Amino acid sequence: MTAVPDIEFRGVTKRYGAVTAVSGIDLAVPPSAFVALLGPSGCGKTTCLRMIGGFEQPSEGQVFIRGQDMAGTPPYRRPVNMVFQQYALFPHLDVEDNVAYGLRQARPRLSAREIASRAGEALEMVRLAGYGRRKIHELSGGQQQRVALARALVNKPAVLLLDEPLAALDKKLRTDMQIELQNLQREIGITFVLVTHDQEEALSMSDFVCVMNGGRIVQLGQPSEIYDEPADLFVADFVGKTNLLSGTVAGHSGDLVEVALADGTVIAARKRTALRQGEAVSVSLRPESLSLGARTSGPFKGIVRNRIFLGSTAEYAIEVQGIGTLLAKADHLIGHGNLFKPGEPVAIGFASGTPLAFAETKNNGANQRVEKHVEIIS
Amino acid sequence: MSKSYRDGLPISPENFVDQLMRLKRGSIGRRDFLGLTGLGIATAVMAREIGIMPTSAFAAESLGDRMSIATWPNYHDPATFENFKKDTGVAVEVNVFGSNEEMLAKLQAGASGWSLFVPTNYTISTYKKLGIIEPLEMARLPNFDGSQEDPRFTGEGTIEGVTYAVPKNWGTTGFAVNTKKLTKPMTSWKEFWDTAMAEGDSRTMVHDYQLTTIGNALKYYGYSFNSLKPDELAKAEELLLKVKPHLFAVSSDYQPGMRAGDAWMTMCWTNDGAQLHRDIPEIAYVLGKEGGEIWTDFYAIPKDAPNKPAGYALLNYLMNPQVAVKEHLANGAPSTDARVNKLLPKEVLDNPILYPAADLLTPLEFGAAATLTDPGRAELMARFKSA
Amino acid sequence: MLLGPATAWLVVFLVLPFIAIAVFSVGERAPEGGYQAAFTFAQYANLPARATAFWNTMVLAPVGALACLLVAYPVAYYLALRAPQRWRLILLALVVIPFWTSLLMRTYAWMYVLGGRGIPALLAYIGFEDIRLINTPGAVLLGIVYGYLPLMILPIYVSLERLDRRLLEASADLGATPLSTFLGVTLKLSLPGVMTGFSLVMILLLGEYLIPTLLGGGKVFFIGNGLVDLFLQSRNWPFGSAIAITLVLVSVVVLIAANRISTRVSGARRVDLI
Repeated sequence: MTAVPDIEFRGVTKRYGAVTAVSGIDLAVPPSAFVALLGPSGCGKTTCLRMIGGFEQPSEGQVFIRGQDMAGTPPYRRPVNMVFQQYALFPHLDVEDNVAYGLRQARPRLSAREIASRAGEALEMVRLAGYGRRKIHELSGGQQQRVALARALVNKPAVLLLDEPLAALDKKLRTDMQIELQNLQREIGITFVLVTHDQEEALSMSDFVCVMNGGRIVQLGQPSEIYDEPADLFVADFVGKTNLLSGTVAGHSGDLVEVALADGTVIAARKRTALRQGEAVSVSLRPESLSLGARTSGPFKGIVRNRIFLGSTAEYAIEVQGIGTLLAKADHLIGHGNLFKPGEPVAIGFASGTPLAFAETKNNGANQRVEKHVEIIS
Repeated sequence: MSKSYRDGLPISPENFVDQLMRLKRGSIGRRDFLGLTGLGIATAVMAREIGIMPTSAFAAESLGDRMSIATWPNYHDPATFENFKKDTGVAVEVNVFGSNEEMLAKLQAGASGWSLFVPTNYTISTYKKLGIIEPLEMARLPNFDGSQEDPRFTGEGTIEGVTYAVPKNWGTTGFAVNTKKLTKPMTSWKEFWDTAMAEGDSRTMVHDYQLTTIGNALKYYGYSFNSLKPDELAKAEELLLKVKPHLFAVSSDYQPGMRAGDAWMTMCWTNDGAQLHRDIPEIAYVLGKEGGEIWTDFYAIPKDAPNKPAGYALLNYLMNPQVAVKEHLANGAPSTDARVNKLLPKEVLDNPILYPAADLLTPLEFGAAATLTDPGRAELMARFKSA
Repeated sequence: MLLGPATAWLVVFLVLPFIAIAVFSVGERAPEGGYQAAFTFAQYANLPARATAFWNTMVLAPVGALACLLVAYPVAYYLALRAPQRWRLILLALVVIPFWTSLLMRTYAWMYVLGGRGIPALLAYIGFEDIRLINTPGAVLLGIVYGYLPLMILPIYVSLERLDRRLLEASADLGATPLSTFLGVTLKLSLPGVMTGFSLVMILLLGEYLIPTLLGGGKVFFIGNGLVDLFLQSRNWPFGSAIAITLVLVSVVVLIAANRISTRVSGARRVDLI
């Protein structure tokens, strides 16, 4: 890599007493990227963010910001700013003073005029011009969110850290803010590191998604990669909706593996790791990769149990004898009347792609312990 | 060696507990200190004004099973009340007070609940004037023998031929000196005040009590202890204001300071002087040769006493010389009753602190009621204390 | 209309006594002491006779409260933000427990600690003879700080404990050094607690007489001493009442001022004293 990464983790481990929150992380975030740290609560993503911010020190390894080792650098000397969960706006200051807070800390001091003009610009950027003298508690959640953004960005950080920034907003506002954040990132061109447990949010906003589980990075890649080519069963399950079918390896044919499912059906699947004959596996079938039809020849036949019509698509829960309930998603083509009704028999085939087979690995339970701990520190 | 290792140490645990117990009994300084905690009085006063509390005038001929007495701290032999209960079945509740004024305020407020109390000579005429004190039915006090009392001490209990109070004991107001610290012998109030501004600088205490502090300042010039003359009081004030910055404390709780060695000299009442001298022989008790105060504490019965029969019974019991002598030995103040003096050991009678030579007693004056209630002296004291 | 028990309580213990005191204050001292009915403002006109006492009190109260604050804040800060969670309650209890003993007792204990057989005796042991600690202004200040410390610590502790820790991180994140975070965020947001503690202690100090008497030797005359003397010694109830009324009015002014200041600096929060 030619450019110095904005953020780099080298062998970073963080322990709280006997609990390991983050273990052996290596990660390099290129400049001007929008990166999401995605994982269930307790996976170590917030701890990573706090180590970038300087609120936690790694137990082992190093964190670099723009090539500088941050060991021993307190938060107030780091060129990063954070948008906190629930924003952490100063209740005793009005909107403008909240935004100007960071500017007032600058040494050498900035002139009052410069502070005012930069705070004004920042408020304009988040479309809150004219709100400067409002009290924080007079603002809506979305407005507070934007004040928090302006307060962090006004200092022109090298990296903006966002800790579940949208979690407190309702769905409509969340979607708006997702777009707004993306636009902002492109406009300013600095690196955004977003921590979220919401896979949709991670996939829709970021250039790279770093999926974490049990204190480790399980997959790093572009959103489509993560979705289409999940590295393991956890990612496949956590990112997006999928059908996981249990089976055993029945044979190999070239790069593919043949999996015998519970009902005896044998399907061909791609694999991530070498699989032994007879090994228990889970096969991931994305709902949208399934096709439905009265006449379609396919491996499964079932009966529609439920239908959720979503406008452009419809989701079906289909009961397949010997397998269980499969989730399928079909495009709704206007005027074709291709909707199946509950109770109707359907044939299920593969519309696109090849299913993925994963070795069944047991989760070691580390997750839960970490989760508990993170609750305490946050 | 075995004796001395503690001598230089700070107060011992036992001693500290003693002091705390003393505090608990309310005996921190005789007349003044309880004023510190006596704010309950304001409530009582208001209660009377508003009419919340009924003023009880209950009187039955049976002795009942309880009564209460208002008196001074450390002033009785606790066994006295135990024995009285044994004899009569009446339990005695003891209320201790810090000053005559406080007692007066409480009694004036009404519903004090006392059936007997111990006023000092100069308040009796005031109680009588306010009509809150009972003329005593002497027939109910067969143990009292007026002929055995020294008339010098009993006079103020009788007003216009009616006896309102009978004496308990008497005493003087002089000063106590730590003769190890202040070696120059002293015999007069003039020396007391002059020393306070010289060798005794920042080691001298005066009472937080206008009667004695102003009275003894008047003695510096040879004026009457009870003077109300503006020019004489002005001179006394001048002296007091001059001495003020040199004082260790303005407080009637002088025993702790004297015992700890922080204070070297203090105005002092007889019984305290005797106690200090007994425990720390280098502390001497001096009566100013110019004069000063002599006082008598009396027993009297409030007009609204809830249990007068028991009040009379206890008073009569206390007038029994066999009982009174134990009281005397407990509180250390000299008795007014010749029958009691006969029962006292010789060393007590020979103690010059308790029974000073006649020539020292002659110039002493009883405090007067007008001296105590004079607003001008009260204001003078306030000016002195706030200077 | 039914009077609630709270209202009845207020009337009996606050309003009626206040009215009684107000009535007394326009009366006259009876010749034998106490009160006799009259309608005169002579007592109020006489207030300058206690000007020194008022002045001493007006100095003692804020200075004492300030000294108390300076000691209490670091303690409260440590308890709320630094002490390990599991120790916090124990430490807090240690702060409060002495309060179960009467102030008189505790002050008396100090008399012995500071008296000639206390610390000065220890000092004499190591060669510093005849050092007097008792009955000095320092002893009074010590007694005040000691006596009122819990009253100052608790409200500050509560306001610091309520403080959102993320605000401190946000401040650091925005480039503020620990000192400017303390000044700009912690201190300002704990101001309601500070003002509550300060006005509470100050108002109590306006009536204080015990500590200056016991540890100061009664040489400095405060308005509380003046009141005690007027009610219990010279029994000039009307004048005492006039002073009491004045003191109550001063206290109310202090409360209002404290509330104003704290509301202004720390935003919309209010000080709830009573």
